[in-house]
Amino acid sequence: MRDVVVAGFLALKDYVATHVLTCLVPAFLLAGGIVSFINREVILEYLGEKRSKLSSFSLASIASFFVAACSCTVIPVASGLYFGGATVGVAFIILWVAPATNVLALTYTGSLLGASMAFARVVAAIIMAFLVGSIMSLAFQREHTVPVSSEGGSSQPKGAILERRSAFLLFLVLLSLLLPNYLIRSGPYLHKVILWAALTAIFATYAKLAFPPKAIQEWLRETFWFVRLIFPLLLLGVFVVGVIGKLLPETWIRTWLGGNSIRSSFLATLIGAVSYFATLTEAPFVSTLMKLGMGKGPALALLLTGPGLSLPNWLAIARVFGGKKAFVYVATIVLLGTVVGWFFGNFIFAP
Amino acid sequence: MNIAVFGMGCPKCKATEHNVREACRALGIDAEVTHVADPREFAKMGVRMTPAVVVDGTVLFSGKVPTVEELKEALQKLRS
Repeated sequence: MRDVVVAGFLALKDYVATHVLTCLVPAFLLAGGIVSFINREVILEYLGEKRSKLSSFSLASIASFFVAACSCTVIPVASGLYFGGATVGVAFIILWVAPATNVLALTYTGSLLGASMAFARVVAAIIMAFLVGSIMSLAFQREHTVPVSSEGGSSQPKGAILERRSAFLLFLVLLSLLLPNYLIRSGPYLHKVILWAALTAIFATYAKLAFPPKAIQEWLRETFWFVRLIFPLLLLGVFVVGVIGKLLPETWIRTWLGGNSIRSSFLATLIGAVSYFATLTEAPFVSTLMKLGMGKGPALALLLTGPGLSLPNWLAIARVFGGKKAFVYVATIVLLGTVVGWFFGNFIFAP
Repeated sequence: MNIAVFGMGCPKCKATEHNVREACRALGIDAEVTHVADPREFAKMGVRMTPAVVVDGTVLFSGKVPTVEELKEALQKLRS
């Protein structure tokens, strides 16, 4: 019993303590900055417009990167778009991409599992987004939803998505997030902290000079919301991950999730699709399983399906979009997740 | 005055409702505060980001948790 609790605390130390300053703090600041400086209303306005499938799908995949960071905000956004006149494909792309790959998840994945895994996560999520969008439009194209939107505000001129000075500030924050983790790969953790502190001082000074105090307050308030919503769940999640890692026999993991077979990928996808992972906890969970012998392909599958899908999430989607669409969506994701895990495991990550 | 908070029960929406009640109390407004969770209603009002605050059919805030101060200012402007 004592061993198990100790394992939980060790996991907290490994996955949280050594990542707070150089990964989580800048990532939260970046996410808060995206929310407060980028005009998401304008992005969503573009998404509601009629346009070709290719351009609307690409736009939706990129946009969801900036629109929401966790599954709790993504359902209202996706359903708002759907009932506001966007196609069913676009709505489900948003629903899929935002939790599967977003700023917070990517930086934490990169920091724990390496840049190649983070990169694979983006590429796989976007490929899956296009397939999900196509399948949903094919399956439900005959269903003409009459948009309930009353105001035809599409003819009004749209505001700018992002001011130039905000773009520059976000870029500086991004540097403070990436450089310490990628420039300093070895040596004591203190070196990373020093570089992080210097870069943080730079963007803080720029913010102070270029922005009114009100804008900075708004930014910090949004950042604090992310911390408040995500951090407690992350601590709890990581503790549970440590405990599970201690309790699960290594041979099980090797047998059921090892290698890059279709079966391993399918099981990983299923675990991800059914169980609830708080935003960000999927990365330490996968990292723990990989140390116990999980293959890289199944690891990717679990990273993709973990944060976006869970039993409670299925029910929420079914309530909003209807049972039939929820069923097709979940079945599609499980199928695609399996194939993508198997494909990346055998052909992309292959030694 | 009818104030509706649009949101699907997330912590941000609850905080918004709390701030709305606080602002009404501070201004002495006797308003009926409701919570709307149906995404069809969001679309009908043109609300794209939750939480949103809708007063008598006008969207005052959307996509963020307004502070009590911001709410007081906006409500006062609406009253005059």
